[in-house]
Amino acid sequence: MSTTQPPGSAHAHDELPSSTVTLIVNDQPRSARCPDRTLLVELIRDELGLFGTHAGCLNGDCGACTVNVDGRITKSCLVLAPAAEGTTITTVEGLGEPGALHPVQEAFWEKDGFQCGFCLPGQLFATIDLLDHEDAPSDDDIRGALAGNICRCTGYQKIIDSVRCAAERTARTPD
Amino acid sequence: MTLTHSPAATANPDLDPGQSAGSNVEHGERVRRKDGDLILTGRGRYLDDIELPRLTHAAVLRSPHPHARIISVNLDAALRMPGVVTALSGGQAMPLAGPVPHYYDPAVAGERTAEFRCLAVEKVLYVGQPVAAVVAETLHEAEAALKFIEVDYEVLPFVTDELAALEPGAPRIFEDWDDNVLIRSAFAEGDTDAAFAGAAHTLREEIRIQRYNTAPMETRGYIATWGLDGVLTFHGSSQNPHPLRSNLATSLGVPETKIRVVAARLGGGFGHKFHGYPEEPLVCVLSKIVGRPVQWLETRSDSMLVGAREMVHHIEVAFEDDGEIVAWRNLIHANIGALGSMAGWGMSFVAGMAFPGPYRVKNYDVTSLAIVTNKAPWNGARGYGKESAALAIERTVDRVAQELGLDPVQVRRRNFIPSDEFPYWTAAKRLDSGNYDGVMDKVVELAGYDALRLEQVSVRGEGRLFGVGVAFELTPEGGDFPGDLVRGFDTSTVRVDPSGDVRVLTGVTSPGTGNETGIAQVVARELGVSVDTVTVYQGDTDVSPYGYGNASSRSMNVGGGSALLAARDVKERLALAAGVLMEDDPAALTFADGWITTTNGHRMRFSEVARAVFTQSIAIPAMNQPQLESTRTYGPDNLLHVPDEHGRVSPYPTYPNSGHIASVEVDRDTGVVRLLSYAAVDDCGTVINPTMVEGQFFGAIVMGIGGALWEELPYDNSGRPVAGTFKHYLMPRTPDLPEIRIGSQVTPSPFTILGTKGAGEGGVAGAVACIANAVNDALRPLGVTAHQMPLSGPRVLEAINTAVPL
Repeated sequence: MSTTQPPGSAHAHDELPSSTVTLIVNDQPRSARCPDRTLLVELIRDELGLFGTHAGCLNGDCGACTVNVDGRITKSCLVLAPAAEGTTITTVEGLGEPGALHPVQEAFWEKDGFQCGFCLPGQLFATIDLLDHEDAPSDDDIRGALAGNICRCTGYQKIIDSVRCAAERTARTPD
Repeated sequence: MTLTHSPAATANPDLDPGQSAGSNVEHGERVRRKDGDLILTGRGRYLDDIELPRLTHAAVLRSPHPHARIISVNLDAALRMPGVVTALSGGQAMPLAGPVPHYYDPAVAGERTAEFRCLAVEKVLYVGQPVAAVVAETLHEAEAALKFIEVDYEVLPFVTDELAALEPGAPRIFEDWDDNVLIRSAFAEGDTDAAFAGAAHTLREEIRIQRYNTAPMETRGYIATWGLDGVLTFHGSSQNPHPLRSNLATSLGVPETKIRVVAARLGGGFGHKFHGYPEEPLVCVLSKIVGRPVQWLETRSDSMLVGAREMVHHIEVAFEDDGEIVAWRNLIHANIGALGSMAGWGMSFVAGMAFPGPYRVKNYDVTSLAIVTNKAPWNGARGYGKESAALAIERTVDRVAQELGLDPVQVRRRNFIPSDEFPYWTAAKRLDSGNYDGVMDKVVELAGYDALRLEQVSVRGEGRLFGVGVAFELTPEGGDFPGDLVRGFDTSTVRVDPSGDVRVLTGVTSPGTGNETGIAQVVARELGVSVDTVTVYQGDTDVSPYGYGNASSRSMNVGGGSALLAARDVKERLALAAGVLMEDDPAALTFADGWITTTNGHRMRFSEVARAVFTQSIAIPAMNQPQLESTRTYGPDNLLHVPDEHGRVSPYPTYPNSGHIASVEVDRDTGVVRLLSYAAVDDCGTVINPTMVEGQFFGAIVMGIGGALWEELPYDNSGRPVAGTFKHYLMPRTPDLPEIRIGSQVTPSPFTILGTKGAGEGGVAGAVACIANAVNDALRPLGVTAHQMPLSGPRVLEAINTAVPL
């Protein structure tokens, strides 16, 4: 539900205060010129073409637009793009790819922790962040970690099963 | 067959879906979700992810008034704004698009109807009705320009309350109607008056379910591209792309062959993406004007305009000393808003039709009034009126138990339709099959019901408000409504390539539920190949056969059923060829594990035989149709539209059901309800993929819990909707919920080819009723009831405050 501009069409950009934002996204140096009012989620989707990050509310409520910015999970609809200057960002495209999924992605597939997939990037980032901080999260830890991410399809139960599965595996194979 | 979902059960390696990928599938196998790796890695493409050259963006100016006459619309200033390509008023749109065809026109049912344009022309009927549109190079520019459209309104008296709308002097929503009632649906059997007169007990309640919707995480969106060749390509987040194509052709006055609708990957549907919205033809008209693709995306607050479910039940029940319910009487007032062309109004019909639920009650008299008001129109919402009926039925069953001092489980058992009485007729349903006692046994055990009751005694002893809720849900599914494009059958093509890979093209669509995985399993099993070699195509009207898409838990019944029939045809042709090539009786061949095997152990790969059909003339001497392709249509047998000798019909063929038990604690000082435990058991007939069915059931239960406790779309006194974000519209989140435990019973439908009854919708209704019963059980020591949903803290506190101080 966000959008500014297809890449390459610079029409409005000339008339508004604009900046060139330079950052590292999924290990690649990227830069884009965009109006200063552009949201980070808009930069990621419309300027960088990374459509895996979704916008469900543009209000910070749903968490579908969650990405990792400099090691912290961040709702990218609540950040202006120029504020991300110089940051290092991971989007869902940077977590894994078909045939080489991140262990948390594997767990979500195995335990069917998603249906339509729209909220999924946020659920994955919230889970990875939890497991980065907690080796053996309690049920309360898991529910707390996912509190900022709304899912309408699953009723959360299989998401929670997926997080438990991922936690067990991570505990088994520490790196 | 019993499947209990718990962490322990899913840890069973035999059920590990990771182990099953790539192997042959049997019914009931936990194949993991197709395309899961694409979705998990951000490679799924939803509507807003479609990239088209020269795309423009539309924004819609909406009425700020609940009822007003449009005097003038001036677009001049908006047209001068930066980036604006065009702007359009209702008057200008009139010659470009006819009325938006109804999803299901009430006129087909012999009722009144009304016409709705893509932009309002003379009057606006609700806050949020589209009045004008702007197309600009960017969405921000289009939205900015809206503020420069000048609309002069003459404000008219409005009515948003359904009872006030019934008053003789009430403002009339449609000037050519003589009142504000769209339809009065009546369902009756037996002699209700006599049963009430003769019953030992009667009681009466007023039960209100609030206005709320389904709030999919992805809102709606459409992209129209009207090419210079006259072909309109419409990308849309639609649950029903073929009927939408037909309706666009009607509205736009172009041949249906010139329109292609492509349903993008959906981020949830739940009825919200049924068609009939004004923005559908609007984007098409705008694209024609600007000669470029036009995209419109529903904002989150736009999505919260869409209503559903708001009903009041004036319900009475008559019963005997032993808990036997002998009669129900119910007058339903449904506040359906300003009607619109979407699929919402039918929920008022279904809320009445669903009586008397799973109970063998021979006398009932139920009337449902669909009342129009100056609220925004409804669309369909998962539950589709069945949740409203279940709330009223199950609350009154609990009230009966309470009056008699009986256990609510016992009263339900006393009244269940016995399993040997199916098929069982009511006024407008023929129930296919069921074992309601069996479901109740399982859920009582799974929930630890007896222990919960013991716990209740001790917790109540401490003066705390602890409640146990029981509910049973009966969910009519697979509805068939002739007269419009809402049908109970569907069509699939099965095609085998020379490589041996299998394509299934089906008219059934997936809103993100995963029915494509289930359909692939059915075809893979029939052909004896790996499910990984089967690809399901859905949602593109240039690719799939005409079908009715996603609604009413129909996808496996009719998408799976038609695909099975088509797969059998193809298998027969492959068997003929294999019989020639291996010199054996085609009927004696075995298809399994990607091989076709003769009785004496000769075998060929499935793919070899497929290739031979295409390449070897010797392979096909006995075949008059050597193509490995078949298209078949399938619908369940239990659809009865010609009234029988008792005047009965059955527009729904299958009846999944479920039992629910929850426990809650209510904070006496704040009214806040804490959900402590939840257990439920469903019976949706044969299960193709238990993982997917469980997922649907969990999701439905939590949607029901959200509606029972938090979700609401209220209006203020000025006729304006209050909720526009998830800060007002409170969705369930993980910390709000306990571990949810589910189980399953399988009572196949005798009327569907797979024995399925439909999964997806079931669970919402039971959860709404179960939570309502649990909260009211908690409030019992105070002698009060809370019958206005949702049971949010303030509302429960209001009920608590009506208690007489001890």
